[in-house]
Order: sequence, then structure tokens, then C-alpha cells
Amino acid sequence: MMRKIAACISAAAMAALLLTGCGSNLKNTVHSIDDLKGKTIGVQLGTTGDTLAGDIEDATVEKYNKAADGVQALKQGKIDAVIVDLETAKSFTEVNQDIQILDEEFADEEYAIAVKLGNTALQTKLNEALDALTQDGTLQRIKDNYEGDKKGQYPYVVRQDLSRSKGKIVMATNAEFPPYEERQGGEIVGFDVDMMNAVCDYLNYELLIEDMAFDSVIPAVQSGKADVGVAGLSVTPDREKNVLFTNNYAVTHQVVIVRK
Amino acid sequence: MNFAESFRQNFIEADRWRYLWDGLCTTLLITALAVCLGMILGFLVAIIRSTYLRTHKLLIPDLICRLYLTVIRGTPVVVQLLIIYFVIFASVPISKTFVAVIAFGINSGAYVAEIVRGGIMSIDVGQLEAGRSLGLNYTQTMAYIIMPQAFKNVLPALANEAIVLLKETSVAGYIAIADLTKGGDIIRSQTFSAFLPLLAVAAIYLVMVVVLTRLVGRLERRLAANDRR
Repeated sequence: MMRKIAACISAAAMAALLLTGCGSNLKNTVHSIDDLKGKTIGVQLGTTGDTLAGDIEDATVEKYNKAADGVQALKQGKIDAVIVDLETAKSFTEVNQDIQILDEEFADEEYAIAVKLGNTALQTKLNEALDALTQDGTLQRIKDNYEGDKKGQYPYVVRQDLSRSKGKIVMATNAEFPPYEERQGGEIVGFDVDMMNAVCDYLNYELLIEDMAFDSVIPAVQSGKADVGVAGLSVTPDREKNVLFTNNYAVTHQVVIVRK
Repeated sequence: MNFAESFRQNFIEADRWRYLWDGLCTTLLITALAVCLGMILGFLVAIIRSTYLRTHKLLIPDLICRLYLTVIRGTPVVVQLLIIYFVIFASVPISKTFVAVIAFGINSGAYVAEIVRGGIMSIDVGQLEAGRSLGLNYTQTMAYIIMPQAFKNVLPALANEAIVLLKETSVAGYIAIADLTKGGDIIRSQTFSAFLPLLAVAAIYLVMVVVLTRLVGRLERRLAANDRR
């Protein structure tokens, strides 16, 4: 009986392999932003890439829960392109040899920390901390740790000698967005995490991270479930109606990923 | 923001109600086709399983069916959906709705199979023996004596399975299908308000389920009408 079951399983596996093997000739059809017209574009739901793709003529927009699922679909030829933030696009292309980033880019965007509307006290404190960290070069070192030639050389070490007497800051994020936030060995790491740790160290707060879907980050801040939303959030007019943003801590732009 | 303003922002502005309407159509389409596929698969599996249990024939098909039931009932439907989309149909350009129909149909088939098998096994074995002793062969006995009674017994349970399936399709958004749930999520991602889009989605599911439950109740009463108990 065991042998028969094993035979069944291997037959099923072989059938799956056969199906996977075919149709591997996937040509790239997108060579510029103009080429996106009428194509099928993958985005992560609720991102600025989602908004940009929605403005492209006749394009079909596939809204995935994670940018990585969009990239997977792109590699398999299910969609023609993915619109995502530059640094995240780089993390994807580093590990996937068969995709590339188009040279042509969308307009600049600024990342900032979101706090609840009306919570100007926290906004002021965060701005003060961001200013101080910019002045003493901490923010630049954290940035360098995640991109450029000195990658990995400045890991941020959380200070252990603080009383954390000011209480805690709950940070809502979506740990699917390397290098800003991702899970590594059960821990959430990334630029945003290091930056918030530095901010909390400066302000003597304890940092708690809540991982959730990207489109839940702003509602979590609005409803007070989290104190801050830090998830590579670009400042847009729509979002500004719903949350308060600090000064920006990074500048980026959306890019298009296509197959090679 | 007051209720009217919030309502306008979530549903009227930029024609956002269309996300819910289109999503509802997608949900209903996937559910209807998946129910059909599930019924076909389920009846096939149930007939094979009960034939093996009653006559000890069809050993190999029975083993395959048991493997199917174990794998499908032992893994979450979301995982099955993702496997079918990203692994089985990896580099095949295929309609996502089709993938969802296959995934939910195969999933539902496993539950339908056990419901129908229960129905067939609930018919006293004496009826099978009586049929055979009257000169009908096994297939005829099944078709004319066992199945009509079994079908009547399981019809309400099958209808309930269809209702469950309707709600289970809410995970179709994982492969970027814009179904009803995803429609609500899209509105949420644009307006950043959770209250109205989620309540609207919940209300639409609830109305559909209540209507279907009513229909099942009516069906049950109709079926019971000629029972002398």
C-alpha cells in the first residue's frame, strides 16, 4: 500500500513538473514608461505604485497583497511589469537574475513617519529627533548600511543603557518591503526599523513593532492601534488628509521592473 | 467626517461602488463555477469510495481518492490557491478566475465527496442486496435505488457546502483577483477608512448567505413534504 501511495505522489509531482517546464520563453514587452499603456501591471495594494499604475491608459492593474507576489507573477509571465519603490526594486533584482529595472523613472517621492491627525506633540518630538539624527550623521550611517558601497558596515546597535522612562511607541509596518523592512530569522529588520530605534533611543522611548498588511498601516495609525506608521510611506495629498506626516527621512521614486 | 460625507467618499466619489459591484460579480462567478466543479468531483469520489467500501472493488481509484481527500482536507484553501497559481500553473499564462475556480472547486469537491459518501452509506445495505436479488446489476442498483434516496438526504448539506464556499472565496484576493473582499480592500486603501467599506462587504455577504439559506430551507421543506414519518 505504501508503494502505491508513493507511486501516486511521484506521478502527481511529475505532472506538476511537466506543466512548470513549458512556456519558459517569456519576452519582455516593456522598454519605457510609455510602453506600459495597455499592459498588465502588478503593484502592491495601496502603494503609490498602485496610484501611478491606475493613471496609465488602458492598463490592467493587478493589485497584489505583497510586492514580492507581483514580482513572482512577473517572472512567470503572468503580468508585463511591476511598479515599486526603487530600493525595494533593487532588493528584488539582486536576488532574481531574470528581471531588471527600467532606466526611466517616475517623479521623486518623500518617505515620512505617519502619526495620528492632531497628534502634533508626537510629530514635533519625532521631527526634533530626526533633525538631531541628521545633524550627528546617524541617519546617513543607517542609510549607508542599506545601500551603496558601504552596505552592511554600519549596523545600528540599540542602546542598552537607557531607562525608557517615556513609555513606548508602537510602530505599524509591513515587513514585506526590503530593504526598509523585512523579516530575517523571525526578526523585523531594515532601514525603517534602525531609524525608529535611533529615534526612540534619542527620545528615551521603547519601540514595539507591529507587522501588518500595507493597506492596514494608515488605518492602524488613524485608529490609535499604533502610534506611528513607518513602512516606506510616501507623502501623498490623499494620505495627508488622513494622517499627519513628519519631515521626510528619505527620498525615493517609483521604478518599473520588467523581465530581461 | 460625518456619515453622509464618509459614505460619499467611500462609495460615490470616483465611482468606488464599482469595486464592490464588479467584485460581487467575480465572487458569484467563481462560486457558481466552483460549486459545479466541486459537485462533479465530489460525486465521482463519493461513488468510488462507497463502491470500494461496499464491494471491495476499485482499490487503486479508492487509494487515489483517499490521498486527494487527505491532502485537500488537510491543507488550508489559501495555500492550495497559491500552490495552484504559483506552482502548478507557474509559467502558463492563465486566467486568474480560472485558477480560482479550479482551486475552490477541487477544495469543495473533497468536502462534497464526504457528504455524498455519508449519504450513500446511510442507505441500508439491504436495499443494495434487494436490488441485486431482483436482477439489477450494481450500476443499475446504484442509479435507480441508492442514489435517488441518498441525493435527497444530502441535498441540504450540499447546499450548505455551497454557502460555505461562497464565503471561502474571500481569500481569492491573495492572487490579485478583485473579488468582493478585495473590492472593499481597494476602497480602504484609497480612502483609508475601514468602517464603511468593511461593513458594506460584510453586509453584502450576509445578504447573499441569508437569501441562500432561505432557499435551502424551502428546499428542505419541499423534500420533507412527501416523507411519511
